[in-house]
Amino acid sequence: MKTINNNIFARNLLAGAVGLGLTTLAFSATAQEPVPPINLMTTTESYDPIRYEAAFIIAERWRELGLEVNVQPTEFSTALERFYDQQDFDVTILGWSGRTDRLDPQFFLSTLDSRQAHPGGNNPGGYENPEFDELFDQQSQSFDMDERQRLVQEMQALYKPDMPVAVLFHRDEVVAFNHDAFEGINPMAGEGLYSEWGPMEATPVGDRSTLRIGGPQEPDNLNPLASTSVWGWKWMRLYYDRLVRLSADVEPLPWAAESVDQVDETTIAVTLRDGMTFHDGEPVTAEDVAFTWNYYLDQDYSYFNSYLAALDNAEQIDDLTVHFHLSEPSASFASISLSQIPILPKHIWEGIEDASTLSPSDTPTVGSGPFVHERFDRGEFMALSKFEDHFHADEIAVDGVEFIIYADMEGVYTGLQTGQIDVTAWRMEPGQIGLAEGEEHLTVVNVPDFGYFHMTYNLRREPMSDRAMRRAMTMASDRERMVNVLLDGRGEVGSSVIAPVNTFWNEPFVERFDFDMDAARAELEEAGYSWDDEGRLLK
Amino acid sequence: MSSRRSYLIRRVLHGFMALFIIATVLFFLFRLGLPDPTAALITEGLNPAEREQIRASFGLDQPIWEQYFIYLANIVQGDFGYSFHYRAPVADIIWERLGNTMILMLPAIILAYGIGAPLGAWLSWRRGSRIDTSGIFVGLMFRSAPMFWTGMIAILFFGIGLGWLPTSGMRTLPYEASSFLDKIFTLDFLHHLILPALVVALYYLGSPLLIMRNTMLEVYGEDFIEMARAKGLPERRILYAHAARNALLPVVTQLAVTIGLAAGGQVVVEVVFSWPGLGREILNSVRTSDFPLAQASFLVMAAFVVTLNLLVDILYTMLDPRVSFK
Repeated sequence: MKTINNNIFARNLLAGAVGLGLTTLAFSATAQEPVPPINLMTTTESYDPIRYEAAFIIAERWRELGLEVNVQPTEFSTALERFYDQQDFDVTILGWSGRTDRLDPQFFLSTLDSRQAHPGGNNPGGYENPEFDELFDQQSQSFDMDERQRLVQEMQALYKPDMPVAVLFHRDEVVAFNHDAFEGINPMAGEGLYSEWGPMEATPVGDRSTLRIGGPQEPDNLNPLASTSVWGWKWMRLYYDRLVRLSADVEPLPWAAESVDQVDETTIAVTLRDGMTFHDGEPVTAEDVAFTWNYYLDQDYSYFNSYLAALDNAEQIDDLTVHFHLSEPSASFASISLSQIPILPKHIWEGIEDASTLSPSDTPTVGSGPFVHERFDRGEFMALSKFEDHFHADEIAVDGVEFIIYADMEGVYTGLQTGQIDVTAWRMEPGQIGLAEGEEHLTVVNVPDFGYFHMTYNLRREPMSDRAMRRAMTMASDRERMVNVLLDGRGEVGSSVIAPVNTFWNEPFVERFDFDMDAARAELEEAGYSWDDEGRLLK
Repeated sequence: MSSRRSYLIRRVLHGFMALFIIATVLFFLFRLGLPDPTAALITEGLNPAEREQIRASFGLDQPIWEQYFIYLANIVQGDFGYSFHYRAPVADIIWERLGNTMILMLPAIILAYGIGAPLGAWLSWRRGSRIDTSGIFVGLMFRSAPMFWTGMIAILFFGIGLGWLPTSGMRTLPYEASSFLDKIFTLDFLHHLILPALVVALYYLGSPLLIMRNTMLEVYGEDFIEMARAKGLPERRILYAHAARNALLPVVTQLAVTIGLAAGGQVVVEVVFSWPGLGREILNSVRTSDFPLAQASFLVMAAFVVTLNLLVDILYTMLDPRVSFK
């Protein structure tokens, strides 16, 4: 028994060796091997049918190109983990949401910074370009807007031909409001109609002067040192003031600050508006502002870490003046960081040692913003009333804001249809858009998004490490079809990590990489690739 | 008597055993089955050190066995932990949501059983007739129709078309209730309750109706019914006083199970009518990998089912002398 087995084993071994020898011979004749198979990771169909379908549109063409492609729909948080923490992927389709603070180019550009390529960093693809890093530092320290614009555009022109990431598309947000109840509500890029300006600009035309917003999402909590959701911050922005507010065109406007000045390279001086008060009647002073920023530094609240990264400390100079001492020059600090941190009343927060553990009922809601927090009934309702003592109060036509929380978009749409709410806080379902357009009392608004869905190549792996390969793979991705079919035309094909709607920072002349299979093949051929008889791509 | 007492003690112990096993299974199921909750908690672009810090703040850096024993010890003390997503004690969230769910489900179930059981008895009496077949058809139809469909038809018809009834929520906002009782004893609340409760009631109606009808048919063959007939009692009396009483036991069992399961809420109805109940919360907690909240919700549901089964068993020992204590 044993000997027979050994014999078979020996024979197999021999056959294997001969086979191996033959294959090696065959290959050395052409000196080329098939390109390794590629796993394309995307979200599950139930999480997002659009990204799921996009992966199949891409895979289909890549197979035509001679690649072996395997689409891997992956549960969302697992996908995030494999992408950021483990960097265990070939190509991944994920998205960046367009939060207002991302209209500043700093964030999106940092996703290609080689110093962000470590596990958990913002550059999981591992793009490395010293020239890009150099420009990144220059732009982030440049206070001269024109100079910074030039640097930012240069960076886009620089990275694009290397194609470390394909920006697939920007998806329009389609929202609606009841024009029989309110007018003057203008959409804001990335925010839609539910932005911090909406309630400040809405003018009642019906008999109700409380603006009612409806949405299927609610804040996780209203703790300014624990909330990690956009929904928490959208609401809190209405009753907390910031030193700077970003206008609807994303221009930094001094708000609680009378002025923002640069003292030297690493010192920014802010002078507060005189006569401001918190909702409990206490005055807002430079002491509160300095306290707030130092408090945020102490509490180590990770959601805001990126805004605070450049800050050493804040120092009160006199009643109305604060100096921000930075560890390095930072252009985005004055525009973005100052617009994100809410001003907290020192007399309420100074006694709270660990703010992240506050229970919802113990969390203070006193701010100095244009609205006063009234209620948050989880799962049901939120309300604010107008703060009559606010410096902007005369410009505000509504007497309050209410937010009705629905279980899904179906409920929201019914609410809008029946007049229960005036504005949708979240994009409508595709099926509802047509219905809404048919309603006489509704205005439907398309809001371009500057967030984007991207396809990131892992540059550490074969064959994505090859620039020509990435360029060809991108040219073979039919993004026009994604927009027309998957988004029903409500969106735009992506070009740069800085979206076209962000006109000031976008570099309009970057190489386009339109869908072109012939160009993709030519690109590969030029880089020395070839195809075998079965059409498989060889290198 | 002593055999009955030891039986009851044994049943209670079994109940606790069952809950212990369920608690254990839930704990490991969620930890093995769901992805790292910090992935859902954390926005894109947080560095590993910060992520580790968040994990530590929730005790997720401890060995899993240690987490398990802490979890058990806490449950015994009625502490269900801290919700990752809401940053609030889980118990507070669950009690409030459970209250909202039960005040939708209980009236609906009572309505369903209050109408279903007598209706089933009546149908059995008229068995084979056109009324019987159409009664069964209606019961089965509402039982098999997806609740979101019935719900949306109801919304379209009564809410949007006729405009008689509110289509979402449990009160007209911004109405503010001073207490739970204040919240539910208002006309406005009842107004909001009608549509969802009706949809749930129609769904549940089929069970008591069919169970009652079928058990009644069995009971009709029993000797004591023959006896009653022989005594010359009127049919109506035989039906309700003799047969129906005996046929009620399986309906009561079904009722207990239904109430137990209703604690989890009917997710679909709660979503369609934006009712802030436990079912909607469970759905959200699974979506956000908020496992302290998810596992506690399931545990509460399990506790309801176990307790109500126990109550039914106790009730049986009193109602039905045929139950033996083995």
